[in-house]
Amino acid sequence: MEVFWKTIAQYNEGTWIAQIVITVVGILLTILLYQKPTLLVKRLMKGYMVFLNSWISIVYYMIYCGDRNYNYILAIFWGIIALIWLWDLITNYTPFERYHKYDKLTYILYAMPFLYPLLSWARGMEFPMMTTCVMPCSVAVFTIGLLLAFSRKVNLLVILFLCHWALIAFSKVYVYKIPEDLLLASATVPAIYLFFKNYFDQNLHKETKPSAKYTNWILIALCLAIGIFLSITIFHELAG
Amino acid sequence: MNSPNELKEITRFLLEYANRLMGSGVHTSRVIRNTRRIGKSLDVDVKMSLFQKTMVVSVCDIDSTEVYNEVAIIPAFPISFELNAELSALSWEAYDNHLPLDTLWEKYEKIIARPKMDPLCTLFLVGFANASFCALFGGDWTARLIVFSATLIGFYVKQIMQKKKINHYLVFIVSAFIASMVASSALTLETTAEIAIATSVLYLVPGVPLLNGVIDIVEGHVLTGCTRLIQALLLVLCISVGLSCTLMLIRNSLL
Repeated sequence: MEVFWKTIAQYNEGTWIAQIVITVVGILLTILLYQKPTLLVKRLMKGYMVFLNSWISIVYYMIYCGDRNYNYILAIFWGIIALIWLWDLITNYTPFERYHKYDKLTYILYAMPFLYPLLSWARGMEFPMMTTCVMPCSVAVFTIGLLLAFSRKVNLLVILFLCHWALIAFSKVYVYKIPEDLLLASATVPAIYLFFKNYFDQNLHKETKPSAKYTNWILIALCLAIGIFLSITIFHELAG
Repeated sequence: MNSPNELKEITRFLLEYANRLMGSGVHTSRVIRNTRRIGKSLDVDVKMSLFQKTMVVSVCDIDSTEVYNEVAIIPAFPISFELNAELSALSWEAYDNHLPLDTLWEKYEKIIARPKMDPLCTLFLVGFANASFCALFGGDWTARLIVFSATLIGFYVKQIMQKKKINHYLVFIVSAFIASMVASSALTLETTAEIAIATSVLYLVPGVPLLNGVIDIVEGHVLTGCTRLIQALLLVLCISVGLSCTLMLIRNSLL
């Protein structure tokens, strides 16, 4: 645990200016994507996602988290997500078309990368030994929010990778005592449901087995099970 | 007695029927048995030569002893036990009720037109099955959840690649690599990581060709059986190549 927070402190000390620039660029591109969703802006956003995921892979994990065990595994993990975004940029798979249905949840997800440092601060932690906006979980939660806002057609592979990351983050709540990561895990449950429900809605015309209605119920049951599991964990954390 | 034209039509149906069975994972002797049973109900004697990629069907009219031959290429269909069972039941129905060829075609078309499993539903079920494997091998809850998630990713990649008609062996190598790579993230947590990595690729094991290969050899169809086993073993080799790539990447003590 000590090594974990030490590496975070080193990363924050060494890159805080870059982190501010990355955050500002992210905010600007998101606003542009909402106001002027031209092809160029969409490509710029995908380019930004390639950069952001590569940053987490190379700068965060390979350079600053070198003292942690198996840091290269997580570097490869984020490198793969960056490659998926690169493939998306080349093939233009995700069209980034606005979908207004989940706006409220989207805004909550957008706020979460900023809630991370606030939560650390509320727990009595101080800069540089605290979570910030350009860290794996913040990037994951921002990506989920972004894809949910433009979820008419999304790259499900990115979602699956981020869900896996949420699972790892969830386990870290116990291992490294980082309750901040519960934010990502909590946000992922409704997001998984909405993404898959959206997928089912798009495929309603196809006759499949079981029918879309029953598949939807299976999905609800799955998300409820995860939700209950998560609630118990949060309860334990609060009680502890 | 069947006219030459009728004989030709019967052969066409039997070829289509046997092709469907063979392509969707039925062992050779069952294909021959079912096809011959339908042939009997139509008053013809059916003789078949089955290979991995092609089949030859000889249909002989019992009364006139006139023979009609045809060769067909066996396409690959998705494995479906339900479809296989229903097609077998059709052969018994034809035998018991002496169904005419038109009715057989109608029933056959109805069976193969039934809705397929939803790919996402399959995705979740495969995820649960693989997580259960992890539990069977002694993985703890964290490892099971990681295997579930890794399988979802690996299997989804497999579905995408298969849709794009990428080489079968390459699909297996990449899927095994991705699933085991994702599962190796368990090493960063306090969990049974080795079990998670090892079981994350089990969803790829070609169980049906392996079983069919053994059954074929035991029942005397040695050539088809060996071909099926060789194909299955090549797929197992691909899985191990994918898994080895992950182990080489994560290097520390595992390889």
